[in-house]
Amino acid sequence: MNASQRKKINAIVILIILSIYLLIVVFPYFWTIIASIKEPAAINRPLDFNFTPTLDNWIAVIQAGIPRQALNSLIVGLVTVGVCLVAGAPAAYAFSRYKVGGNKSRFLVLLSQMLPPATLIIPLFLLMYQVRINNSLIRVVISHLTVLLPLVTWFLIGFFDEVPRELEDAALVDGCTHWQTLLKIVIPVVRPGLGAAALFAFVLSWNDMFYALILTSVKARTLPVGIAGYWTFRGVEMGQMSAAILLAIVPMIILSFFVQRFMLRGMARGAVKG
Amino acid sequence: MRGFRIPFKYQLLTPMVVILAAIVVFPLGYSLVISLQDFQLSKIGQQQFIGLENYINLFHNRSFWMALRNTIEFVIMAVSIEVTLGFFLALLLHNKATFLRGFFRSTLLSPMFITPIAVGLIFRFLTNSQLGVIPNLLEKFKISIDFFSPKLALFSIALIDVWQWTPFMLLLLLAGLESLPEEPIEAAQVDGAQGLKMVWYVILPLMRPIILAAIVIRMLDAFKVYEYIYAITRGGPAGATETMQYLIYRTGFIYFRAGEAAAMSFVFIFVITIMVLILFYILRGEAMQE
Repeated sequence: MNASQRKKINAIVILIILSIYLLIVVFPYFWTIIASIKEPAAINRPLDFNFTPTLDNWIAVIQAGIPRQALNSLIVGLVTVGVCLVAGAPAAYAFSRYKVGGNKSRFLVLLSQMLPPATLIIPLFLLMYQVRINNSLIRVVISHLTVLLPLVTWFLIGFFDEVPRELEDAALVDGCTHWQTLLKIVIPVVRPGLGAAALFAFVLSWNDMFYALILTSVKARTLPVGIAGYWTFRGVEMGQMSAAILLAIVPMIILSFFVQRFMLRGMARGAVKG
Repeated sequence: MRGFRIPFKYQLLTPMVVILAAIVVFPLGYSLVISLQDFQLSKIGQQQFIGLENYINLFHNRSFWMALRNTIEFVIMAVSIEVTLGFFLALLLHNKATFLRGFFRSTLLSPMFITPIAVGLIFRFLTNSQLGVIPNLLEKFKISIDFFSPKLALFSIALIDVWQWTPFMLLLLLAGLESLPEEPIEAAQVDGAQGLKMVWYVILPLMRPIILAAIVIRMLDAFKVYEYIYAITRGGPAGATETMQYLIYRTGFIYFRAGEAAAMSFVFIFVITIMVLILFYILRGEAMQE
């Protein structure tokens, strides 16, 4: 067997292995899509593909609370991301440019990731009760910030590290203040990083169920809490549950195609330094 | 006001520091106080200071030890499979000759972007003994497995974690492979290293710090496992899948025993810290050998 034949066989073996793994990843999606267009009776016969597709489940889900819950999740996600960027970007710039607290402080920021949500939920819940934060969505935003603000800050440090210093020095010499330099010169350069961090944080906020389950009232559920309700309280409505799940996950999978490339870059820097 | 100004670099940090002090540091301190009290959510205003009693009681609380053991077992099972599988897949996807690389990468990474509660519910559906496609398929081959029996349940939950989070491992390790220096690899190629030898003697040692960092990051997250258990077993059967995050949730928000739950959560943080320190110790020890 010569070298080029061996290469071909190698490539085929790799392709087969990846395809098998691809099947494992895709099959649950595929099955959820199928279940979302089956009637209840057809769901009881899992291996029978002889069914008439129906949109009843989708219509039921859209007429139920799901759009409202999706809107709640969207609001929570957008506000959380906004605060993360406004407070996190200047902090990341301070860590990167002025080395505040030395190199260790960047990892101090990450330390908060060691806190399990179970630890913070008890005091947060009680404090919010005592200071009367009655709006469910504000409560969820606050809880998400405990996780995402440190994470976004850490994620952005790497992007600020790459801004050439000459650029800032030139602006300062030209008479810009520090804040003007940051806002007009540095921020535009790191815009892709800000975009990636925003999408990344949005996905994590949208996907959270633990905090939202405890901190929202029944009227102001977010989407993950809503889909969890399909198996527990209303009996088993597999078809509707599948449709609701798809509404929750498809937008995130689409967003993921935009962030993956940046995450690969951001992670490469973070991991190498870490 | 004139004459005194906060230096610019501290101005930059102020918003983040103020927010985190208010929503992380202060609540943590408050939680420490709660953990020293007989604090019931159903009787707010009647709490009493009881010193370390909540902590001492944990020593003979069987559900606590069981949850701690389950959590550690779960983390070890899930993360070890994820890092092995993730590394293997990263090598295949890193290979420039691989057909349809971009397509495979973006599809294989997708599970890490979807909400864990959906993953839990999907797998509950797939493995359901009547409605589920997996038991029905296995029946054709006369195999019957109860995925959520006392013996298998925790492992099954770990496998669900593997489905969702191997992609994250793959992402980190792929990023690591892409950032490796090219000289040592080319030099090894010149010396005739190929295939498995190349991976074992050249790539693996170069990747070791990245692999360890990836394990730490993934472990910290795996400790927080909650949604799959909420969706599928609710801690059962007989506590076989109760993890720390779930036990603390149950103690605090179903039984309303906030003081006890807060004490548990501090012991939990302590355990996590010890495990991370052990890993860092291994990492540093290995770095010094070289």
